[in-house]
Amino acid sequence: MSEAVLKLENLSKSYSLGKRNVQALSNLNLQVNKGEFVAIMGPSGSGKTTLLNVLGCLDKPTGGKVLLDEVDVTKLPEKALYKIRSSKIGFVFQTFNLLPYLNARENVELPMEGTKKSKSERRRRASELLGMVGLSGREEHRPQRLSAGEQQRVAIARALANDPALILADEPTGNLDAKNKYEIVRLLANLNINQGTTIIMVTHDSHMASQTERLVFLSDGKITKEKQGLHLAKKKLTCPYCGSRTQLGDARCPSCKKRL
Amino acid sequence: MAIMVSIPAGISANQESTLNLTENLGNTITQTEATINQTLTQIDCSLSSGFEGFGFAIIDRGSSGFAPPSSGGFGFTPGQFGNGTGVPGAFGGGAFSRGGTTAMNESLYYDISSIEGVAAVVPSLQASQGTNQTVEMFGRSFTRLVPDYVIEGLPLTSSLVDNYPILPMNITAGRNLQAGDSRVVLLSENNTAFFGAGVGDTIDILGQTFEVIGIHGSTGVEDRTTLYMNLSDAQSLTNNIGYITSITVFADSSDVVTEVANAISSLHPELSVVTGQQRLDQLEAMKTNYETALENAESTVAQTQSIAVQEIIVAVAATSLIVLFVMLYTVRERTKEIGTLKAIGFSNWTVMSQFMLEGVFLSLIAGVVGIAIASVAAPALSGLLLPAVSQGTFGRAFTSVANPGTTASITLTPQLILIALGAAVLLGTLGSLYPAWRASRTRPAEAMRYE
Repeated sequence: MSEAVLKLENLSKSYSLGKRNVQALSNLNLQVNKGEFVAIMGPSGSGKTTLLNVLGCLDKPTGGKVLLDEVDVTKLPEKALYKIRSSKIGFVFQTFNLLPYLNARENVELPMEGTKKSKSERRRRASELLGMVGLSGREEHRPQRLSAGEQQRVAIARALANDPALILADEPTGNLDAKNKYEIVRLLANLNINQGTTIIMVTHDSHMASQTERLVFLSDGKITKEKQGLHLAKKKLTCPYCGSRTQLGDARCPSCKKRL
Repeated sequence: MAIMVSIPAGISANQESTLNLTENLGNTITQTEATINQTLTQIDCSLSSGFEGFGFAIIDRGSSGFAPPSSGGFGFTPGQFGNGTGVPGAFGGGAFSRGGTTAMNESLYYDISSIEGVAAVVPSLQASQGTNQTVEMFGRSFTRLVPDYVIEGLPLTSSLVDNYPILPMNITAGRNLQAGDSRVVLLSENNTAFFGAGVGDTIDILGQTFEVIGIHGSTGVEDRTTLYMNLSDAQSLTNNIGYITSITVFADSSDVVTEVANAISSLHPELSVVTGQQRLDQLEAMKTNYETALENAESTVAQTQSIAVQEIIVAVAATSLIVLFVMLYTVRERTKEIGTLKAIGFSNWTVMSQFMLEGVFLSLIAGVVGIAIASVAAPALSGLLLPAVSQGTFGRAFTSVANPGTTASITLTPQLILIALGAAVLLGTLGSLYPAWRASRTRPAEAMRYE
């Protein structure tokens, strides 16, 4: 029986824009189970980012419940929220948001500050995570010396630092080229399949979304459609160059032979 | 920051020099009073001669130009009374002066001795040795002649030494000169360091050696650097055999002082004759002069302080505002970073303290840089920022009273540096408080929208 990591009950969010009242989310119900890889899709203004902010405890809903590990976070005070953000949620941003004056390892160590981990434990954990995202040997590099894809991988390592229950990724491939998109998706898919990490990814790239196992369509603050992803359940991805199927572990596309 | 450090540095330097001056003036007033009392207790009077007419150079004693301490007598001084400026011939470039080229012939002594009512005549020879010194004061420098010491030769005969107070009375070490002494000197306590000698040592004066027989303390404004010796020793030493530079006359009684003075004047109209009463009046005038200078100096200190306080307030306000604006700008620039930090679990408090720390650290760096600049630029800066203590008011008084070595220089004391660093930290904290609070209040959802 799959256990719910996240449960939204009648979630609503409205805010006033000048004199207009905007209903960004209305009566949303959604359950995400442990180990799921969910893509949330929708056009601009459909409420994707608002939803992600509410899920990430960055914004408070105006109605309904957000149950994170069975705790209703909408009732928690601000002080408890940052602890939840640090321990239960890992953020991956479209623009990576690495701190430019810290090197890759220090960026990954950042969320562990304020936890009980010792300095050396943090260091070890950061190096381990960087190894996991394929950046061994790049620990001392500052963000400006890393490619966009590498920066996003550092950001993913940072999101994983405190073993969160949930990874929230906001357009994680929005600023990347096809090759790097594939790498990031493959990385997220690997995390999901091999480590059982629960991932919610917001995107309006249908190609990206189709790689996941579950797609949720959002429009005008409502869930309009849900469908099963095409490939991930079968550990399959799509080659960014020719569009043919690839296996998660493939180093080269079996059809166009390009390096993946 | 440099300004903030320079002002207090300037104040303390100005204060120090002004306080030095005040202290000197205070001492001078006390000393002048002592001299006045000395003169008052003597029923007799003193006579002083000017000799400007035929080129007598003035023997400037301790730069005050007073007549010799002719307590209880008439003093003929080939010098202008109370004028410390007119002696170009007397000092200069370290050359030894023998008190002008036309010292009085000793024969005057016999002329005056024969006047009725004269009890005793004490001829003496003074000559001073001085060096040019450049004095820094309030950002300006000027050269003045500072006498190192003044030689005074006195006739050491028992009839004079035993009956008339011609020698200094305040002996602090060794013994006083006495009748028949030769090749020995009585050194001023102000000159022991200059000669590097004490009682029993021998010192070298113009290539001749003398034994220090005793040390005298300074009793008045006049003899602060006077070195007493036998008249004949002084005459031969300074190549002035047969010449003297002043004569002190003791009258039989105070009733005949004026008569004797008049008789001397008519016999030798070229001499300027000053009685004790006249001297007293002049000393009183000097005292008033010094007192005015003291008042001016004190009011200047107060004035400087109030201006400095205003400037510091402005500097502090400006610094805090600069920190405030810089930090506000930083917070705005780094909204995304703040949002990221909050999204990955940083508390408001952590974000706020990070920005506070940054503001304080930056201010501290600015403080260190400022102190470094100030240590070089403080004199110029404080000269620009603070009013110079008016030189005209007591330029002369200063010249009259300053000892060699009382030069004002701006120094950054460790205390001042600590205060400046403390101010930097305090201002950094003050200026960062609001921006850091703003940063901590930034809502991450909004912060993330910034690109």
